[in-house]
This record gives sequence, C-alpha cells and structure tokens, in this order.
Amino acid sequence: MKKEKKTYKAKINWHKELRLLPGYLIVGVWVLFTAVMLGWIVGASLSTSREIFSGQIFKFESGVHWENYATAWNAQNVSVFFANSLLYSVISCVGVLAISAPAAYVLSRWKFTGGKALRIGLVVAMSVPVIMVIMPIYSLSVQWGIKGRVLLVILYILLRVPYTTIYLLDFFSTLSRAYEEAAYLDGCSAPKTFLKIMLPLVQPAIVTVTIFNFMSVWNEFFMALIFTTSESMAPVGVGLLNIINSMKYTGQYGGMFAAVIIVFLPTFLLYIFLSEKIISGVTGGGVKG
Amino acid sequence: MKKLTSLLLASVMVLSMLAGCGNKADTPNSEAPASNPPASQPAENSQEPAGKQYDGVELTMWSMWSTGEPQANVISAAAAAFEEQTGAKVNIEFKGRDVNKVLSASLEAKEAIDIIEDDYKRIGTVYQDYTMDLTDMAKAANYDSFSYKCFTDQSIAWCGFLNAITEQPNVGGIFYDKDAFAKAGVTAEPKTWAEFLDVCQKLKDADIGPLAQDSAYCDFAFYHTLVRYLGEDKIEELTMNGGWAGTAAEQAAQDIIDLRNSGFLADGAPDEFPSSQNKIGFGQAAMVICADYVTAEVNNTTGSSVNWGLFNYPAVDGGVDNGAAYMGANSLAITSYSENGQAAFDFIIFLTTGEWGQKLADEAHQIPADSRNTAPADLTGTIETLQAAESPMTWCASLSVNADLKDTIKSMCVELFEGKYADGAAFCAALDALYK
Amino acid sequence: MKKNKAMIFWFSLPALLSLLIMFVYPVCRTVLMSFFQVESVTATTADWTFYGLGNYLKIFKSASFLTSMRNMMMIWFVGGIITLALAMLMAVVVTSGIRGKKFFRAAIYLPNIISAVALATMWIQYIFNYDYGMLNEIVKLFGGEKIKWLGTDLKFWAMTGSFIFGSVGYYMLIYISGIEGIPQDLYEAATIDGAGKVSQFTRITLPLLKGVIKTSITFWSINTTTFFLWTKMFSPIDTESSTIVPVIYLYDMVFGGKGITTRDAGAGAAVGVVLTLIIIAVYLITEQLFKGNDLEY
Repeated sequence: MKKEKKTYKAKINWHKELRLLPGYLIVGVWVLFTAVMLGWIVGASLSTSREIFSGQIFKFESGVHWENYATAWNAQNVSVFFANSLLYSVISCVGVLAISAPAAYVLSRWKFTGGKALRIGLVVAMSVPVIMVIMPIYSLSVQWGIKGRVLLVILYILLRVPYTTIYLLDFFSTLSRAYEEAAYLDGCSAPKTFLKIMLPLVQPAIVTVTIFNFMSVWNEFFMALIFTTSESMAPVGVGLLNIINSMKYTGQYGGMFAAVIIVFLPTFLLYIFLSEKIISGVTGGGVKG
Repeated sequence: MKKLTSLLLASVMVLSMLAGCGNKADTPNSEAPASNPPASQPAENSQEPAGKQYDGVELTMWSMWSTGEPQANVISAAAAAFEEQTGAKVNIEFKGRDVNKVLSASLEAKEAIDIIEDDYKRIGTVYQDYTMDLTDMAKAANYDSFSYKCFTDQSIAWCGFLNAITEQPNVGGIFYDKDAFAKAGVTAEPKTWAEFLDVCQKLKDADIGPLAQDSAYCDFAFYHTLVRYLGEDKIEELTMNGGWAGTAAEQAAQDIIDLRNSGFLADGAPDEFPSSQNKIGFGQAAMVICADYVTAEVNNTTGSSVNWGLFNYPAVDGGVDNGAAYMGANSLAITSYSENGQAAFDFIIFLTTGEWGQKLADEAHQIPADSRNTAPADLTGTIETLQAAESPMTWCASLSVNADLKDTIKSMCVELFEGKYADGAAFCAALDALYK
Repeated sequence: MKKNKAMIFWFSLPALLSLLIMFVYPVCRTVLMSFFQVESVTATTADWTFYGLGNYLKIFKSASFLTSMRNMMMIWFVGGIITLALAMLMAVVVTSGIRGKKFFRAAIYLPNIISAVALATMWIQYIFNYDYGMLNEIVKLFGGEKIKWLGTDLKFWAMTGSFIFGSVGYYMLIYISGIEGIPQDLYEAATIDGAGKVSQFTRITLPLLKGVIKTSITFWSINTTTFFLWTKMFSPIDTESSTIVPVIYLYDMVFGGKGITTRDAGAGAAVGVVLTLIIIAVYLITEQLFKGNDLEY
C-alpha cells in the first residue's frame, strides 16, 4: 500500500490529534487489515504450493518464485483476458456516451412529449435486477443469432445507458442557457451547438462517468459468465475464475495467487492515479436519488 | 521403436477411419451401415494422395478442462496431430468444470458443437436427447475390445444406446500412504469395518491423523457406508420419499459418528478442499476416501511423492452391498445434430486410444481409457479392476435424485462428520424432517 | 430558446430504444413467463403453457428456494445493518478532520475496484484458512482453539463477512458526500452550544442524512437481491444449502446446474419477479419510514 506523505503547513495540534485517536484507530485497523491481506497474497504468489499450505510464506526458504508469474501469464491466456476486458470496456464506454450524452442533453433542456416518461423510465431501470432481464435477452440473442463479443458489448452498452444518462443529465442542467443563446445568435445550429459547445463544457462529468463505466465493465462477471461461449472471449473476471479453478486442480497455488495479483494490478495502478475521479463517479449520479 | 509403434497405431487409425467413412453420408442413427461395407472408397482415397480424408471439415469441441491443465494440453496437441493426419480441424473450447452449467441450454439452442465432454452419467441422462447413437461407429472401430464394459453397459442402461466414449475412467476407494501404514506398523489392508477401526487406532497411536476428509467429499465418504448397509436402490427410494428412521441408515450414520468421536479424522477435518487431503502429502494424515485423481492432486499441491496404495472401502456387518466401489468416467459424446459425426468419432478414438490415450494417461496421471495402454505406476492394477467391474457404484447418484433436497442432504453429510448429530437415529430423524 | 423537434427526436431515440430493448421488453416478458410453464429459456411463446400461479406455488414449496430466501434475508438484514453502520462510522471518522483523509478514503474504497473473484479468493484461501489463516493466527495469539470458519456453521457468516468488507467502502463514499453537504457552521454553532460529538451526530448528521440513508438502503437491497458471485466462490464445486441465494437457485433452474435434469425457466422467471417485488416493497417501506421532507439547510 502506498502511504501518502504530505508536508503539513499547519502545526500539529496534539490536543486535537489525541481527540481523534479513536478515529485513527478505527480506520487504521481497517486499512491495516487490507494491507496485510494484500501483502500475504503477494507473498503467496512468490512461494510454492507446499510453502503456502505449511504456512511458510515470507521465509522464502526455497527462494523467491518469480516463475509463478510466468506460469500464470503463460499457462492461461491472461493477455487475451486483458485484451478482451479492454476491448469491451473501451467500446462500451464510447457506445454508452454516444447514446446517453445526446439524450441527457435534450432531456435537460426541453420539455417534450414522453420526455418525463423517458426520464422516469431511466431512473427505474437503474433499479431493475439483472436477472429480470437476462432470460428474455438470452432467448432474443439465440433467435437473432447475435452472440459472443458483439452481444456482450451491446449488453454492456445498453445496461449502462440509464446510469450514464441520469448522471450527465444532472450536469447539463447546471449549465446556463446563455451559451446556447449566444451560439444561436451566431448562427450555430442546435446539434452543432451541442457537439461544439455543450459537450466540451461537461467534459469533467464525461471523464468521471467514463472512468466509472470502465471499471464496472472491466470487472463485470455475471453477464460474461452467461453470454461468453468461448474462453477466448472471456474478460478478466471470468478468465480469472478459470485460472483459479485450473490451478486448484493442478495444485499450482503459487501460480493461482500470481494470477490474482496480475489481474488486480492494472486496476490498482489505475486507481492510484485516478482515485479522486473514480470516487466522484461513485457519488455523483445516483446519490441525489 | 516408439516411432514404429506410433506409425503402426497411425495406420490402424487410418484403417478404422476409412472403414467408417462409407457411412459418413448416412444419418448416423440409421441401422443400415452395418450391412453396407465401404468397398470402393478406400481405393478412391489412395488414388488422391494429395487430399486428406477430412479436408475442409471443422469440428468444435466443448471441453470440461481449463487451459493449462495437463488434459487440455494433451487434447490440444492431439487435435493438431489429428489435423495433420486427416485434414479435419478441431476447434476446442476449454470451458472448465462449469461446462455442465451451460451445456443443456447450449445444446438446446443448437449451438455449433460437435463433441461434448462431461461426466458420463450426465451425458447418459441430462444430455441424452442431444447425443448421437454411436453404436455402429463403435462396432466398426471395435470399441468393445479395448474399452471398459461396465461404462458401455451403464451408458446403454441410461439412454438405450451407446452415446459416450470413455476418456478418463476413475476408480474410487480409500487411497492411503503406504509409508504411513508401515510407520504405524500396519501390515495388511483392512477388509472389514473392525479391521479398519483397528488400522485407524494404530495410525493415531503413531501420531498420524488416520483419515483426511474435506467437506466437499463428505457425502461421497458417507455414501460408501450407506450403500453397504442399504444398497443404491433403497437409498434412492429413501431420498425421494423419506422414511430414513428405523432403517440401517441409522447404523451407517452411527458408524461415522463413532469414527469421528474416536478421533480418527485428521486434525481440522472436515476441512475446506484441499486442506485436509494435503495433510497426506505433509505426512500428517494417512488415508482419504476419494477417486484416483486425489493422488495427483496431493502430489502436485504439496510437492511430495506419496507412496500411494488403494483398497476398497471396508465391509460392514450385515451389509447388503459390501463390495460396492465407485467407478465413473468423464466421457466424450457427439451431438445429435452434428454434420460430421464420423469425423468427430474418429477424433474421439484418436484421442482416447493408442499413442494419445497413453499420453493422456501419463500427462494427466489418469487411468488409460484404452485398456491396451499402461496405467501410471501408482495406479497399477486399476485397469484390471475396471475390466472386472460389473455394476459400479455411482458418485452419490441415489443421494442426489431429489433435486430439491440434494443441497441440504449434502450439507447434512458434512454436519455428520462435524459431529452435529448425537447419534445415528438423530441424523435420520433430521433427514425425515425434510419431507414434512 | 427554440425547440428543435427533429433534434429532440433523434437525440432521445437511441436512449429510448435501449430502454425498450434492454429493460421494458425483458421485464414484461419475464413477468409474463412467470405465469407459464416453460422448460427452456429459449422456447418460443408458442411452446408456453399457461400455468397460472403454478410456478410461484412450486418455488414456495421448494426447500432450496426457501433456504435461499432465508439466506438472502439474513444477508440483507444483518449484513445490511453491519455494512451501513460500519460505512457510517468510517464516513464520520474520515470527515472528522483526521490527517490523510484522502488516503484513508481511497484505501477503504479499494476493495470495490478489485475483481470480486480475486477478493473472494483472498478471503477463502488466506483469511479463513484453518491451518495458517489470518483469523486463526489471531485466535491462536489469544490462546484460543482454532475455528473452522468454512465449516457448515460459519460458512454463511464467513461469506457475508467478506462481502461486507468488500461493500463498506462504497456506502462510506455515499455517506461522506452526504456529510460534506452539511454546512460546517451547523456544527460550529452546536459546539458553541456545548453539544458533544455524539449528540452532534445524532442531532445534526443523522437527520440531515435521511435522504442519503434512504438511497443507500435501496442500493443495498438491489445489491443483495443480485448476490451471486460470492456464493459461487464460497461453494465452488456445487451449490450448497449454507450459501445458496435466489439468483444461484434461479441460475441452476434455468441453465441446469450439476445433476439437475429438469430445467424450468418459468420457475426461474417467478424467482426474478419475487425478487423484484421485494425490492419494490423495501423501497416503499423505506420511503414510508423516512417520510417527511428532507430537512432544508
């Protein structure tokens, strides 16, 4: 874990800090627990199965087993899983925006027939459990012969539309109408105004919601489990489960934990750099309720 | 020498494949091909050395293994060799053990699959409507001469025709560490329950946990005792309708409770798979009730080479089926709607017999599906056991016929080993309470 | 500003279509399907046979389904109280003016960005292990007997516990954003009036967070009704009665689990409808409980 180091300009007020001690203890223990858990996994990923099962991690008596990482990477197509997840995430994020941003814009700007219904529908859709949706979609996809990657990406896009639209809608409504009026006077058409002026103005919201969508699709499991027909299409979640199962049956526990770390690392790094954005993505849309 | 053998095998293969190709165009289910020998076609083929037999044929196989497992590696290599030899391309989807969760729906949706791989019982029961009758092709390939009769018979009993070709046969029983037995001064494998308890006591005195038991296998372990006292048919009847109290099931449960209370389970048992069975690899436990793959699992996970032995679960006093032993198989089947049934069949035989069958046995450390091959060293004797077997015990089949209660019953088996029930009668009463 | 009808139409059409295809149509079809006898999920409506409430009667007579509902309710109720309470505690601590606020906030949210498959593996293989697991090491430190965390008794709670650990961060963020919306001068005034931290929390923070708490309860309900992956991880080989939840039951029913020979998509649909009704009920109840206008500030 990365400990954040900052120099504080304010002098430490010991009295205040002491009063906050119980608070430090609570969050400290929680974070320590997370750190120990991750640390152990790292240790285990560098040990042999025998060492793991006899509790001999971190002694590295038989050396540090970096080869576990090579095993995990090669034995299974981890790179394929990553590529799949990346592909699904990127395409879905773009697709969702293409559908959601225009809708959010017109919904925020004008009252029109069905507008309110659409808005309510989107909010309600956010609470529909996936299992209500999955069975008809499954039979539709068989009927229409859409499957594999294409199907999965379509599903991810459609699934993320309600959340993304509602999230962007809130941001569009905060923008002043003066922008559009000025553009109108300059002879800029409405669609062009949207593309050239309004969209850039909500860019921060777009970035935030995209990061959030990205993470959701990256870690998605249930849909991928049901709708991927081949290992070569599996994203990381399903792929990791395959790895874990196969390593378990062949007794390569070191490799199994190495796989866990490999899958964990990219999201973790992304998180270190983007945690502020990600966090504001979480609390932005739905919370307003 | 090896080259010669493989050459021989290959030519046998080609011959058997050519024999089959006469009925390729026919619907595989028809009775006709037997009296319709492929007279002219082999000659035709030999006149065109450039074209391979199955050029342009593509097969899709859904495998129950995951990429990286030894079975998967051998299957991939075999597929490449098969393409080289016949021109047929086999696309393999390694779907892992969970394949059984998606197969039914996929077969029904007529997903483009030619070959499926799963437990032979599920192939014989759950998927039977979607599988091809392999009887004639098997006859042409002389399948009976090198396969295990018990599995063929069982397949036919389930669905009326042969629909599964054995790939990975398994035998179950009590696997033990011969060195641990020697250390504890045990000289003979126990035959009866009394002798078994005696062995447990000796092991315990020698400070070795007698029986390793992971919770995932608790139902399987208890099933052995139950089958000895009641037989599988009676268990099925009780599982469906209840009425356990007053039957010999009480004694069966009591035996397990006594075993536990005497401290004959390894430390921590029943534990989460694979913690308990691993104790054998660490020399802390001596026996485990499982199927043969446990030997490879323990050796791999613990990095040890246990000196394995196997004996059948001991006989109980007044038992009705004291010789029952688990035998099962993961098998391959062909979908009923496959357009390349014969090519698929040829690949299956190519994979499970001869050179590749042997490789599968060696690499994955399993009993060869082809009885002419040799079993890995510590599985010596298993081929003969399988050949002699008549009606093998299933993997808890009778205990899971009640779809609605099977999860609960399975958990109760774990609780039995955990010591949750005061005595056998209490266990049976709890079972009966499920049928209110 | 002029209303551009064509633009409104074309801009909202894709969203409308996705709503219809992905939500309206499937939900209607699932509801309809729950009243029919349908074996296969891919069966066309021509193969459906009207069954009335048969599917509902069937699942409510099924021991497995009832167990799964009981498990889900436990996760929802007990797990919910613990999760939301912990999240609130963390949120209050993090916003109390401690140093490294951003670090703690990010670190506590961290489990949410890890693939749940990886997270569950860490818990099962390390924390709960009988021989060398973290919890048993702690127990041993205090001289206790090693505990079987994954035995039939505790497995459910082990699973719920690790699920809670993974969820707290998310609800904490929601609460933090709620707390940060409360004007600071309210607290300053209270401090001047001599109110302690606890009474500030119960008198100011909680009442003002009403709306946020309501939202978090709805989210938690949706989350627990779709509980699936953790059960799958904690019972890797076959469904177990100690960890079964409705979605697993549905999955086994519809797609055919291990050893299940008869599939029943109609019953699966009924399970889905029951879960949705529960979400709606919970939503209405919380609306009722937290009635009254959100306090204005």
